[in-house]
Amino acid sequence: MVVALSEVPSDERVELVDVPDDECRARLLRLGLLDGSVECRRRIRNGPVVVRRRGTEVALGRSLAREITVERAPRDGAPQ
Amino acid sequence: MRATEGADRGLGSGDAETSVALVGAPNAGKSALFGRLTAEYADVSNYPGTTVETTAAALGSLRLSDTPGVHGISSFSEAERVTRTAVLEADAVVNVVDATQLGRDLFVTLQLTDMGVPTVVALNMMDEAEADGVAIDVDALESALGVPVVPTVAVTGAGVDKLRDRLPEASAPESTPIDSYYDALPDGVDATRAEKTLLVEGDEPTARRVGVPGLATDGGDAPLAAVGEREAVYRERRTRVRSIVDDVERVAASERAPEERLGDLLLRPATGIPIALALLAAVFYVMGVVVAQRVVGYAEGVLFARYYTPAVEGVVAGLLPASGWAAPVEFLLVNDNLGLATVTVRYTLGVLLPLVVAFYLVIGTLEDAGVLPRLAVVTDRGLGRIGLSGRAVVPLIVGMGCVTMAVVSTRMVGSRRERLITTALLGLAIPCSAQIGVISGLLAELGVVWWGGYLAVLLGVLGTAGVALDRTLPGRRDALIEQLPRLRLPRPTNVARKTANRTAAFLGEAAPLFGATAAAVSTLDYVGALDAVVGALRPLTAALGLPASFGRVLVLGLIRRDFAAAGMTDLALSASQTFVGLVVVTLFVPCILTMAMVLRERGARSALLVWVGSWATAFAVGGGVAAVLEVIA
Ligand SMILES: Nc1nc2c(ncn2[C@@H]2O[C@H](COP(=O)(O)OP(=O)(O)O)[C@@H](O)[C@H]2O)c(=O)[nH]1
Ligand SMILES: [Mg+2]
Repeated sequence: MVVALSEVPSDERVELVDVPDDECRARLLRLGLLDGSVECRRRIRNGPVVVRRRGTEVALGRSLAREITVERAPRDGAPQ
Repeated sequence: MRATEGADRGLGSGDAETSVALVGAPNAGKSALFGRLTAEYADVSNYPGTTVETTAAALGSLRLSDTPGVHGISSFSEAERVTRTAVLEADAVVNVVDATQLGRDLFVTLQLTDMGVPTVVALNMMDEAEADGVAIDVDALESALGVPVVPTVAVTGAGVDKLRDRLPEASAPESTPIDSYYDALPDGVDATRAEKTLLVEGDEPTARRVGVPGLATDGGDAPLAAVGEREAVYRERRTRVRSIVDDVERVAASERAPEERLGDLLLRPATGIPIALALLAAVFYVMGVVVAQRVVGYAEGVLFARYYTPAVEGVVAGLLPASGWAAPVEFLLVNDNLGLATVTVRYTLGVLLPLVVAFYLVIGTLEDAGVLPRLAVVTDRGLGRIGLSGRAVVPLIVGMGCVTMAVVSTRMVGSRRERLITTALLGLAIPCSAQIGVISGLLAELGVVWWGGYLAVLLGVLGTAGVALDRTLPGRRDALIEQLPRLRLPRPTNVARKTANRTAAFLGEAAPLFGATAAAVSTLDYVGALDAVVGALRPLTAALGLPASFGRVLVLGLIRRDFAAAGMTDLALSASQTFVGLVVVTLFVPCILTMAMVLRERGARSALLVWVGSWATAFAVGGGVAAVLEVIA
């Protein structure tokens, strides 16, 4: 299922599949957030989304989170 | 190709001064290592991006510099530009890697070796890695990277001697997978390996400097033809990072650490916002009430008013002859508005010093604990409405204590654009604690309805000005991508040393600036220019329905904001006149110290914008309020 990162509930694992802005994509790529799945640690209502990958926690602003398309992992939590 | 590149970079180059830069992610421990490697103490903190300039010190015959933390060598932000320049100029680099964040930090390491920069890796935070159950095979990492790797714990000094010993071994592998991308560059590009790497990654400043035909566009705005390459290069590098991490790192399953639960509480709005509010209230209480009112009140009212000032006045009167030439000198030294030997000294030591120390103590503690970025996250949504990001929360709160200190703290705010908006809002609509004291007194006499009206007007101006600046300033709002540092117990020695260093640095710069401004204003006062200004203000005060004596209040307000508010207590004004007067005085220009600081931090153009903007807003809003009140009455 493909949705915006801003729509993902807390604690779900997702893969960031599309970051439209070139610069933001480069910055997320460097941090390793595009290497497979990340944990959506917390979504603040109408605010930033905090994602985590291997102990690196990064807050992404609301407007950015709305632009990012993610792929949600299957519900049973099995590795894709 | 330059076959001899190894000869002009590296520690063996025999230059008069060999330079080494500490490079790594924010919070990897660069400043702590810098302090350990040199006698000098660099600013250590747990808030990404507080080191905004490079600091340098001698390390034996070497020159070591600390740089702002980055996640890559490129030009996406101010901090990155500073660091990229430092890397290009350094003879060698100590790459500080956070051992608990290997997968994140090796990107920079591989980028440095791709660039051919002679590198030694300091694998820092080994104590935390161990506590987290992360085991790293250092030898395997060293051979995978092809550069020396030294495990360190910067806060205890473990491994630092070894790091110093191995500095001369700084090196970069002969060739790396990046080489295959160089073919994409046009023939005959005269660039070093480092520059070539940045070129294939589409780094605009490098393209402009090297002058690649067909790559750099004069417009400056058009993206480099190589942006596509950047993505490919970055992805390839991440692939290498992943395979190295898989080979050298073993992670034991660990339970949730207590600080992680605390981090959760800070990020959950239901708990995070109350915690944030409590912290901010504590900051405001310490800065605005304890220090700005009690400590400063005692210093000014007792120490200076009773002892220092009379003593100095006596000495000056005794030393100077009563003849004609001495009169202007005496005025310059001891006048009641801004005398160099009296009021200027009182402001610097009695007002500024306590505020500065308190501010750095509070901020230093929050920084060291790593809570500031989390405060930024929970307040981001609210501040987004006025063109700011959550990072502006600290300056705005500190502003209610002391706007001057708040201007200094805007350094924490992301982009240049956002810093300007924050500074403008601070100068315009945030009353400082000195002013709040006098204003609340006057409003209390008027009653609660006027109080509400006053707050509504201020918030209205704050919101409108924020939105207006956000819409009109060039550039666009930065996307918030904020790395959250690990929460740590603040280290008192760290905080104390940091406070002492920053206070000394601040006063060293601010005191002369303030002295010069004071001398200039006193001169204007002596030749009667200030009275001329009061005269010139007469039409404006009349338009607001206020007496001419209000002009005198405003002129005092140019110097110090609470003077203006205090000056109003002496005027016989009606309720609506007092209200209009208070609105004007609050929105009016920041005090002379704040302006000196805006000038230093933001430059002349921004200072002028803030100053002129404050005049305009104060009178426009004051006039509007006066007109509305007239209609109601
Ligand atoms: N436990 C531990 N803490 C460290 C170590 N090195 C630095 N720190 C702490 O990490 C935080 C960030 O360090 P700092 O030197 O400011 O990082 P910089 O941003 O890279 O300059 C500070 O609170 C330091 O006290 C280390 O090796 N172990
Ligand atoms: Mg630092």
